[in-house]
Amino acid sequence: MNSLSTYLILAAMLFCLGLLGVLQRRNLIGMLIAIELMLGGASINFMAFNRFLAPEPAVGQIITLFVMGIAAAEAAIGLSIILALFRQMRSINVERAQRLSG
Amino acid sequence: MMKWVLFSPELYYVVMAAVFFFMSLERQAEPRKLYKWAVILSGVGVLATVLGARLQGTLFFDAYRIDLFSQVFKILIAIGTFWVMLVCSELKGVDERRHAEFYFLMTICTLAMMMLVSAVELLTIYITLELSSYSLFLLVPMRKHDGEYAETGIKYFMIGATASAMMLFGLSYLYGVTHTTYVAEVVKALPRVFNQPAAVLGLVLALAGFLFKQALFPFHIWAPDVYQGSTNQVAAYIATGSKMAAAAMVIRFIGFGNADSGYFVQLLMVLSVLSMTFGNLVAIIQKDIKRLLAYSSIAHAGYMLIGILTMTEQGYASAIYYALAYLIMNFACFMVIIKVADDGHNLQIKELAGLHKRSPLLAMTLMLGLFGLAGIPPTVGFTGKFLVFAAALKKGYLILVIIGMVNATLSLYYYLIVIKAAYLLKPVREYLPVRVDGVTRSLSIALVVLMICVGIFPDRFMQLTEAAAAALLM
Repeated sequence: MNSLSTYLILAAMLFCLGLLGVLQRRNLIGMLIAIELMLGGASINFMAFNRFLAPEPAVGQIITLFVMGIAAAEAAIGLSIILALFRQMRSINVERAQRLSG
Repeated sequence: MMKWVLFSPELYYVVMAAVFFFMSLERQAEPRKLYKWAVILSGVGVLATVLGARLQGTLFFDAYRIDLFSQVFKILIAIGTFWVMLVCSELKGVDERRHAEFYFLMTICTLAMMMLVSAVELLTIYITLELSSYSLFLLVPMRKHDGEYAETGIKYFMIGATASAMMLFGLSYLYGVTHTTYVAEVVKALPRVFNQPAAVLGLVLALAGFLFKQALFPFHIWAPDVYQGSTNQVAAYIATGSKMAAAAMVIRFIGFGNADSGYFVQLLMVLSVLSMTFGNLVAIIQKDIKRLLAYSSIAHAGYMLIGILTMTEQGYASAIYYALAYLIMNFACFMVIIKVADDGHNLQIKELAGLHKRSPLLAMTLMLGLFGLAGIPPTVGFTGKFLVFAAALKKGYLILVIIGMVNATLSLYYYLIVIKAAYLLKPVREYLPVRVDGVTRSLSIALVVLMICVGIFPDRFMQLTEAAAAALLM
């Protein structure tokens, strides 16, 4: 179990689940969680490459730390926008929010 | 020389952001005072970036490169910010209590984009890209009475966050196959590992983040909604300043490559053709002028990509020139929109009717800006398109150039509709006269002069862009 490919497959699965969630979910909080899953997949990738292949020992770990910080900021911004939207529409369902046709 | 001098333009913007942060803490901030401060501080900011134009060097363990290329783009971003701040005098679209925060987020975004054009390391690129995106995510839903456009902010956020997550995942594969995070070394190592699927997948996913920023084909969907749903000033800022940073990043990333990676060039070609054609075709049916400009911006990102994908020094120089031209022309159009709709509503094309009587100067600025976007001589837009197509022809991409030409002709149609509205249509009802203050008058005269002079005498600017492209490849 202690091989690179295990971690890579795990990360790819997390990423794909996240992407599927963003595309499928109709609930904004659910979409936000799905994006966090994608970031989690990327973090696992960085850690795994760092652990098994890296010439410089700490780069992947540092990147993962930064990604965790950025993901927190992203969640804060996302939730605040969702809250503002909820005050206006009384709903966090995407289908209610489709007045502009992109 | 002290190392921190290299970082001085960015440091200036940090100080400026701090000033607005403290102003946002005040209970009662006056909009007029804030506007004055914003204009003065961003004007000095332009000066600071111009003074720093000749700086050279690297900072932060080579993660941050300062050369003529980055400095030129920093000047463009600073000018774009300064212009947008100048037209904020009637900031009716944003609640008065939030004006200080508005300027604060603008400054932070400018700072982040300046750092982005200098970043040459994957983590630095990611962080600065996120910083600039996050400030825009917050600026877009700031619009007052936004019941109608409430979902704009969340749409922008969701697409942006997904694109950046995809980019990060792609970057992780690039790190895995090349074992380094420095862009120069990553791109150097790429041709060796291009037979591995992980490398190709990583590169394509990493491109997602860049394409999102520049609103290129598969990630363009946010642009029309965001332009329509955000305040006119914020839309102007996204269309000018943010576009510059995105263009710089794409040029930098591809510019390190310099390798004949055939598939990659073909992918870029397909994206450029799709962006141009899609943007121009959909723009034809638009009624809202900001939506029209959004679709035209998608098309223009496609033109710019033609110059970049030639991967020659001439191509990069032409793309930089095109970015400069686009900044001037697009801002001219947005300035007219902001001034005509000075209560902050969304301008429909038919509301421009009779503009040449209401304000001849603004009508002329709009006409020249739109002619420039369509690529009609003697404006700066023509020279830009000419240089881009010339660079592509030299590389032998004849079909691409022909498609580009056809698209330029297509785009002329919808630009002429707007000009027709401004010059020939009779207004169906009385519109209020347009108030043109001194700042607007001098700004529009300056823009008109710039659009014509840079178009007729491009030599000095071409020298500058060529020197910048040379610095990029050094």
